[in-house]
This record gives sequence, structure tokens and C-alpha cells, in this order.
Amino acid sequence: MKKEKEKKEKKKKLPLGRTVSNNLFALKAIFAASPIYLLVYLGSSFIYGTVEFLSEGYLLRMIVNGIEGGRSVESIVLFVVILATVSLTSFTALSWFWNVISPIEQRKVGAHIEKMLFSKAAKVELACYEDPVFYDKYVKAMDEAYDRILKVMYTLDDLIARFIALFANSLLLFVIDPVLILFGLFPLVLGVFRRLENIASHDLESEKKQVNRRAEYVKRTFYLGEYAKEMRSGGMYGNMLRDLRATFEEYKKITKKYGLKKAIYGYIQRFGLEVVTILGATLYSVWSTMVIGSENGGMSVGDCIVVIGSIGTISYCLNNLVQNFAEFGEHALFLEDVRYFLDYEIKLVGGERMAPTESVELEVRGLSFRYGNSEKDTLHDVNFTLHKGERIALVGSNGSGKTTLVKLLLRLYDASEGEILMDGVNVKEYDLKGYRDCFGTVFQDFKMFSLSVKDNVLLRPSVEGDAQRVRDALVESGAYGRVERMEKGIDTILTREFDDKGENLSIGEQQKLSLARVFADRTPFILLDEPSSALDPIAEYKMFENMMRATEGRSVIFISHRLSSAVLADRVLLMDDGTVAECGTHSELLAKNGMYADMFRRQAENYLGSEVSVNG
Amino acid sequence: MAKRQRQKFSRIIHNNALMIGKIARYTPLYFVFMVLEGLIQGAINSAAALFNYELLNAVDEGLDFARAAGIIGAMALFYTLAFAFHKWYWCIVNPLLRQKLHLRMHEELFVKSRSLDLACFDDPEFYNDFVWAMNESDTRAVEVIEDTGKLINRLVSAFAMFGILLTVDTVVALILFTTSVITVVANLIGNKVSFKHSKESNPLWRKKSYINRVYHLADHAKELRIRHADELLMREYDENTEEIIKLEKKYGKKYFLLYGLSWNTLGDVSFYSIIIYMIFMLARGDMLVGGFAASVSVVWSVRWMLTDLVERLTKYPKHSLYIEKYLEFMRFEPRVKGATREIPEFESLELRNVSFSYEFSSHPKYEFHEEDHVAPKSEGEGKDALRNVNMTIRKGEKIAIVGYNGAGKTTLIKLIMRFYDVSKGEILYNGVNIKEYDPDAYREKIGAVFQDYKIFATSLAENVLGREYNDQDEERVLGALRAADFGDKLEKLEDGIHTHMTREFNDKGTNLSGGESQKVAIARVFSKDHPIVVMDEPSSALDPMAEYNLNQSILHKTEEKTVIFISHRLSTTRVADKIYMFDTGRLIEEGSHTELLELGGKYAEMFRVQAQNYKTIEN
Repeated sequence: MKKEKEKKEKKKKLPLGRTVSNNLFALKAIFAASPIYLLVYLGSSFIYGTVEFLSEGYLLRMIVNGIEGGRSVESIVLFVVILATVSLTSFTALSWFWNVISPIEQRKVGAHIEKMLFSKAAKVELACYEDPVFYDKYVKAMDEAYDRILKVMYTLDDLIARFIALFANSLLLFVIDPVLILFGLFPLVLGVFRRLENIASHDLESEKKQVNRRAEYVKRTFYLGEYAKEMRSGGMYGNMLRDLRATFEEYKKITKKYGLKKAIYGYIQRFGLEVVTILGATLYSVWSTMVIGSENGGMSVGDCIVVIGSIGTISYCLNNLVQNFAEFGEHALFLEDVRYFLDYEIKLVGGERMAPTESVELEVRGLSFRYGNSEKDTLHDVNFTLHKGERIALVGSNGSGKTTLVKLLLRLYDASEGEILMDGVNVKEYDLKGYRDCFGTVFQDFKMFSLSVKDNVLLRPSVEGDAQRVRDALVESGAYGRVERMEKGIDTILTREFDDKGENLSIGEQQKLSLARVFADRTPFILLDEPSSALDPIAEYKMFENMMRATEGRSVIFISHRLSSAVLADRVLLMDDGTVAECGTHSELLAKNGMYADMFRRQAENYLGSEVSVNG
Repeated sequence: MAKRQRQKFSRIIHNNALMIGKIARYTPLYFVFMVLEGLIQGAINSAAALFNYELLNAVDEGLDFARAAGIIGAMALFYTLAFAFHKWYWCIVNPLLRQKLHLRMHEELFVKSRSLDLACFDDPEFYNDFVWAMNESDTRAVEVIEDTGKLINRLVSAFAMFGILLTVDTVVALILFTTSVITVVANLIGNKVSFKHSKESNPLWRKKSYINRVYHLADHAKELRIRHADELLMREYDENTEEIIKLEKKYGKKYFLLYGLSWNTLGDVSFYSIIIYMIFMLARGDMLVGGFAASVSVVWSVRWMLTDLVERLTKYPKHSLYIEKYLEFMRFEPRVKGATREIPEFESLELRNVSFSYEFSSHPKYEFHEEDHVAPKSEGEGKDALRNVNMTIRKGEKIAIVGYNGAGKTTLIKLIMRFYDVSKGEILYNGVNIKEYDPDAYREKIGAVFQDYKIFATSLAENVLGREYNDQDEERVLGALRAADFGDKLEKLEDGIHTHMTREFNDKGTNLSGGESQKVAIARVFSKDHPIVVMDEPSSALDPMAEYNLNQSILHKTEEKTVIFISHRLSTTRVADKIYMFDTGRLIEEGSHTELLELGGKYAEMFRVQAQNYKTIEN
């Protein structure tokens, strides 16, 4: 991974082949979603460029030379009328395309790209989220893909329009006086300064970004409710204001450092374009018209007018052409992340075998696991068997590997060593989706979606008869009291993000709702990671009682810090430092007088002490 | 966000003028440069048209070359100077002034936001407006001033150009003027349409970005992989896309009629008619080539310049709405007000008949807009979070507050901290109502660890001190961290107490685990000599062993201090001198652990439920 990072820093530019291929990839993606959009969009710039050239430079020259040359007014007007008709029809058609068709097609392209990314995102391994290099690319891909892909088309469109303008105007100037081409080419020299200016801007922006992050952070501490109490007691707000002022000093330094450079490079370009090129060419053509005169091979007045307009167009086109090619390079660099993500080969895949629908034996054999960036095993040689219909309490101190074990059982990660057998078969042989469907799970950091209560409980598209099932599950988990009071019951949308009638739930309520998930569908297995952490003792007690009743015949593993709940389990599994330290029934472990007994006694100490004193 | 109401013209002017006045006071130079740059830019834009006109006329009339060269030279000189100013201003002066304005406005906003009642954060409508004011002030003030600069520039150019056209020919000027008026009207209508469009489509885009977020943040990654949640989201996404496309269809045609026909078609018709008209003038010799060429280029520039002008003008009503909200926010008076009474050494804290409701049944809602004011709902919706609470805490006492979720424990702490004022009754500090003290000085007496403590992205030492660190603070910080059982971790930190917290701005920063963060939060109260210490669920993030150690440590270190702690693990609270049991906002039982068990009430029941399974140890 380190190597990759180094590589990334080195490569700021892609090889030409890859640049072309990435840009083509973008065009192909648009074409796949809406061929019409791509073709008409690019075609429109041909029409636009041509008509614009005719109605600007060429038209003027035609008229002035025609009048000066003594052509009949009627023939000139006829020409203008024809041009006007062409321009009107083509622009009206284009305007229809841009206003009516383009927004719709563009959304279709957007949906195509985003769904491509979403379906990949839902499949990549969880480990990818912990690999900073991968995650960085992934976030960038998700954020940028759509904009970038469209930008490739826009740049190409720009390029086409510029080439037409450049070609037509150069031809015109060449016809008038080849010397003028020299003025037109001068901006190529200015390209150097354009590059320098771009570099300065880029450096400025990236340094500013750092400072911005800091300023944004300070802002957050003032406006987020979660900081409000601390900002009101103690003097931390003073530190934050100090940091804000420090960011201003930083901005000042950065602006002074790069501002002058940017100003100078920018000035040279503008001076070069407008004064040297345009005014220079103007002076030359005025000289040619007035001093040499058209009768001696100099320019006519009409030519002179055209030069003033065309030379500007050529200079701008050339100056921007450089920019366009730079843009393709930039697009390619961003698309590199998108393609990396889309081409990423998922290693955690399933097999062909159908997963069981009833509770079966689950065996963990010699399981070891290490997170990608860690130097130590999080789990080391874990062995145990979850018998059919058995309920195991998984206990142990913070960081002993309990949550990791749950993740491995779900195949959110694959073990580094050892294996998990379901019904005697390595779980890798089962179809992945089907295998995960065997489990009903409540994570420690359970999340709600901004969807209806029903959707949040089922976590799958609903079918006939699901409403009752959801209600029953909510009753079971103790959340129905709250849901019943909602205006739309189980069809209420959670959070007010999109629905004014949506409901916000407290953490405790959310936890109860997430528990309903395991009651709604009768999955053969249930995994609960600290399912009662946000509940008060009475609610916790009821929850465990209900859970024990409702999970009859299903296999359960639950994690809890409050050892009083471990008593309810068929067996207790104590984890310490990534291994199974003790395993047995509650009374067996107490009798053993080991770590579990020690932990249990310490927690019980206060309760029992008083009980004794009351009894005595 | 506020409804878009029809604003009077005078109000729009007034509000925008207020904002510009404010900017002129904060950064006078910004204001001066805005006017200056507007004038110069306007001159640059009109100079090109004037230049074409003069030069080509000179050529057409066949005057001497020196005259023409002189015109070109003058133009070159003007450009040379104007561009220099332009670049210097935009690359150096403007960014500095802009940042300075941001800083001044932010400082003012931040100080204001700190004075806001905590209750404001609970009122979603007020909070949304507040966040909006915070986020928008950044860009909005800058937009107002820069739009005004551009406006000056456009007006200067427009006057100059119409001036040139009038000298060329009245008819041409008239045609162009009429077309411009129609374009302006179409644009104004178009703006209204697009406002409605974005209002209708905003919720759809928000939803789309939500789905995007779900897929790309790690938060939901696990849930997306179990069950079939991603199918649900895809269904939502597809429905959403269809809705967006429906809206685009609906509005696309309107835009075509407004912009396509008015801007393209009408613009083209007027352009070509002007050309044809001028061809006849040229042929008759009523017009010089210079006038012709200049007119053509002016017609093009006037077209886009007017569109731009309209776009800027239509932004002022939007600016006005924002400014109004912003200014009202700045005028907003917090309800928790300070007084000046000198605060004495702590002796006692007494709650007398205290009731409190989050719903403000007795108060109006928090609002900036008087006219938008909604009368509080009259039905008994305002459930009291606390009802008629009486208690007295004396110096040195160890007090435990217990009760089920929603009993009002945390609310009680917030009232004691005076984050909220009581709805009824009073809180007395040494017999004097706490409203008579300055809130900051009063809060200084209380050290608090909140349930949702926060670690700030600054050094560990400053996180503990809650103020700037000086060298003489070292012992104090070290002592506090050790007392909070953070000693082991501290030894592992390379930079010790100077270690930067979080990696947000510092690659060498440290991210603490939940338990470690909680210890730092606890160290905060040890670092200062607050006579009163408040701990809200101080051990919730700790495993049983760590909890045990911490309890020992707290009791040990706070010997002579007054301690109030909240917990729903009763094993933690039983050591308190006095336990207050709350149930749905009411204080139902009080006494020592033994007394309460003997009482055999709710506390005893709660304790038994928790102790029940531990009893097996006796068997």
C-alpha cells in the first residue's frame, strides 16, 4: 500500500495512451446511456461554430466590400436574408434541443453513471472502506464521476467549436494577407505564461484548501448543537476564535505569496493578446489600408474591419486550445480513480451452493484475522461451535475482538486463516447474498435510512402481508408504542430530511427499531452487537426477555457488556485479546473462578453488597 | 427557509443598502474599490466600441495615417494601465479584502451564536435559519458587493454604448432598445419560472444526494450489505429520477418559449433587421463604415450585457430576503440574560418548585420574523420535562441523580448549568436566584462532563484546560489527566500533552477511542478548581473494568468538591451521600441508598431488576 502511495505522488501525468483511453471511456459511458445526446450535442457545435463565423466576420466583410465595390444593394440584402434564415432555423432548433431535450437526456446519463457506481459500491468489501488509498479514490469517484464524464463532452464540444472558428478565421485572414497569420500565432508564445499562471492558481487553491478546512471546522464548533454546551462553559470558544484569526493570517500570507505571480502572468497574457496581437494587427491593417491602399495590393476597408474582429477570435481560440488539451489531461486523471474503482476486482465472492433456511450448526475453526493496516491479529486462532438453536453470550473487554468476530461471521470480511463452516460446509461455498440472508443482525452502530418505518424494519422490498409482520416485530422489540403514535404508523418516513411529516427518533428508539429487524423475518441466525447499550435497565430487561422468547429455535450470538444478561444465555464465550479465553455455561464459568468470574463479581459487587446488608 | 414573499421595492433597496453600509464599515477599502473597479471595467468595455467607431471612421474618411496610429496608441496606453489595475486588484487586493470581510463577519456571528440560548438549537426552524445565516453570510455579503460593482460596470457600458448608437442613428438605437426591453421582460419572467422550478426540484435533488451519501459513506456500509437495503434505495433512486425527468419535461418547454424564442429568435430578427437597415444607409452614404462596424459590435455586446444586467438585478430581491433574516438574527436577544451580581464562594444550590418544558408552552417560539410568528399550539402538547422539583445541594455533598430514559435527568443538569432558564420556580445559588449572576461567571463555578462530550481539534493540553496553554500549566494538565486514569495512554503519546487531537489538520494527530475521549473530558473538570462537578453518565463508553477504576478515581479526587452525577447503572450511584430518583419529570424519591431500599419504592425495584441476575453468584 505504501508503494502505491508513493507511486501516486509521483505520477501527476498519465501516459498519452491512458489519457486518450480515459476520455474515450467517458464518451462511451454517455453514448451507452443516450447516443442521441452525445451525437446531437457534438453536432450542434459544428452548426453553431459555422453559423457564428458566417454571421460575424464573414458577413461584415461581405457587406462592406460589396458596398465599397459597388455591388447592388438588393444582392447584398438577399445574401443577408438567406443567412438570417439559416441562422434563425438552426438556432431555434438548437435552442429546442438545449432547453427541452438536453436536460432530460443529461439526467438519464447521470442516472446511468450513478447506478453503475452504486451497484459497485454495494458490492466492494468492507475492508475497502478501511484502506485509505482505496477509500480516497472511491469517494472521489463517487463525487466526481458524473461531472467529470460530462465535462469530457463539454471540453470536446469546446474544442470542436474552437477548431471551426480557428480554421475559418485563419483561412479568411490568409486570403486577406498572410502576414496577419504571424500576429495570430503569437498567442502560442503566451501559452507558457498560461501554464505558469495555472500552476500558481493550482498551488494557491491547494494551500487555501488546507486553511479552509480549519476555518470550516471552527465554524462547525460554533453552529453545531453538539458543541453548544462545551462552547458555553469554559473558555474553549476563545481558542476557536484565535484559530479563526490565525486562518486569516494564513490567507493573507498565501494570497501575497501567489497573488503577485498570478497577476503578473495574467497581465502578460492579456497585454500580449489585446495590445500586442490585436492592436498590433489593427495597426498593421490600418497601415496597409491607408498607406498602401487597396489599389496597390493593400487591404480594403472591409478587410480591415474583418481583421480587427478575426484576429481576436484566433488569438482567444489558440490561447484556449492549450487550455482544452490540459483539460483532457485533467479529466483523465480524475477518471483514473473512477475506472480504478469500477474495474476493481472484488475478492470476497460467494459460491454456488444454496444457503440453508433453517438453523444448522455453525463452526468456527482456527479463525485468525488482521485488519489491513494493522500489525497485530485482531482475532487469533478462535475456535467454537454454535449448535443448532443455541444462544451464546459473547463477552469481554473493549477491543477483545467481539465485533470483529460478528463481522467475520457475516462475511463482511474473510478470515486471514482458518475457516467458518455452516452445516459442515465452508461458508465461502454458499451464494454470498443468500448466506448473508441467513442472519438477522443488529450492529453496535446501527443506522436508520430516511425511508419508511416499514422499509427500515424489513430492509427489503415489502410484499403482501408484511404490514402485520412489521407491526408484530415492533411490538416484540418494544418500539411499537412510539410508532403507533405516528400519524402514518409504519408508513411514516424517518427523519425530516425529505418529509415534513417525517419523525426523528431518539437513539433508544432507533435501537429498538433496529431490533425489530431480527424479529420481522425468521432468519435461522441472529447476531446482536450490544443491542441494549442505549436502553435503560427496565427496557433492557424486557428486551432480553422478549428476545429469548422470540428466538426459540433460532441460533443467537449476542454481545453485551452488562454481564447480568449473559446469565440468560445457554453458553458464555469470553474473549480476551482476540482469542476465546473461556467458554461454558454461566455457572461453569463461575465455578471455574477465572476471568469471567472475576468480571462478574466486580460488576455484581455493588449490587450484592447492598443486598446482603438489606437481608442482614 | 423563509417563504418567498412579495417584497416592496423600497424594502429591497433598504436591505441591500444596509448590507453595503455594513461592509463599508467593516472594510471601507472594499467599498471604495468596488466603485472604482466598476467604473474602470465599464470604461474598458465601452472603450472597445468607441475605439472601433473612431478608428474605422478615420480609415473610411481616409484621414492621415498618423491620426489613426494615434488612436491605436491611445488605446494601447489605456489598456496597458487599465489591465494592470485590473489584475492587481483581482489577484491581490480583492482576495485580501474578501477574506478580511469574512473574518469580521464571522467573528461577529460566532460571538453572537455563542450567546444564543441552547434552546435555539432544539427548535428546528430557528436552527435551520441560524445555520443558513452562518453558511450564507460567507458568500452573500461578497455577492452583494460584487454584484453592485458589476452593476456599475454594466450601467457605465450600457450608457456609453447607447450613446454611440444614438450618434450613429436613432432608428438603430430604438430597435435595439425595444428588443432589449422585451428580452429583459422575458428574462424576468424566466427568473420566476426557474425559481419555481428549483423550488419544486430541490427536494428531489436533496433526496438524490442523500442516496449518494448512503452509498459512499462508511456509516451505512454494513447495513447495505445485509438484507436487501440496497434494493430499497435503488427503488427510491429510480422513482426519484423519474420525478426529476418529469419536472424537466414540464419546464423545458417554458424555457424554450422564454429564452429560446426571446433571446435567440427575437435577438436574431432584430440583429438582421438592423443590418439590413444599415446596408441601405451605407449605400446611401448616410453612414460611415466605422459607424456600421461599431454598431454591429455594439449590438452583439449590448445583447449579452443586458442579459447579464437582468440576471444581477434579479438577485437583489433574493439578497434582500437573506439580509433581512441575517440582520434580524444579529438583533436576536437571547432569553438567558446576564446580570452583574458578584458571585460568591459556593455554599449551596437550591431548586425551588422548578418546572421546565422544552415546548415553550409559556413562551413564544424562537423566531426572527415577527410577521411569520406562529402562535404556540394551545393543546396540552407541551409536556413538562421537569415538574415541580425541589432539592437542595450543599457544599461537599456527593449527589446521584437516577431514573429511566426520559426521566429528566439531563434536563436537570442543563437547568443547573443555566443553559436554559426554568419555566416555573427558581434556582438559588447561595440563596440568590442564579439569574442575578453573569452566566459565564456562574458557569465557571461548575465543571461538567456531558453525556455527549466533544474533543476539539487542538492540542491535548488545550482540550483539558479549555483555554490557551501556558508553560506554567504543565503540572495542572498532567495531574488532571492522571487523575482521569489517562496516564497510561499519555505515556504512549509521542508529544505528550502537546499531541494534536484528531487527524483533521495534523497528520501526527491522534484519534482517541471512545473511552479515552471520555477520560479527557473527565480530566477537564479535574484541571480546574470548580467547586461543583457535574458528570452525566461518566462511564457509558467504558468497559466494566475501566468503569470500576474510574469510579474509584472520581471519588478519590473530588473529596472536598460537590459532585452531581447521573447514571443509570445503579452500582455506580450507590456510594452517593444522597440519591434523587426521577420518574417522568418528577422527583419521586430521595435519600441514601440504604434508605431508599428500605422505602421499597421505585428505586428499590430498579435496583433489584439490575441486581437480579448478579445474585446467581450467591448460589
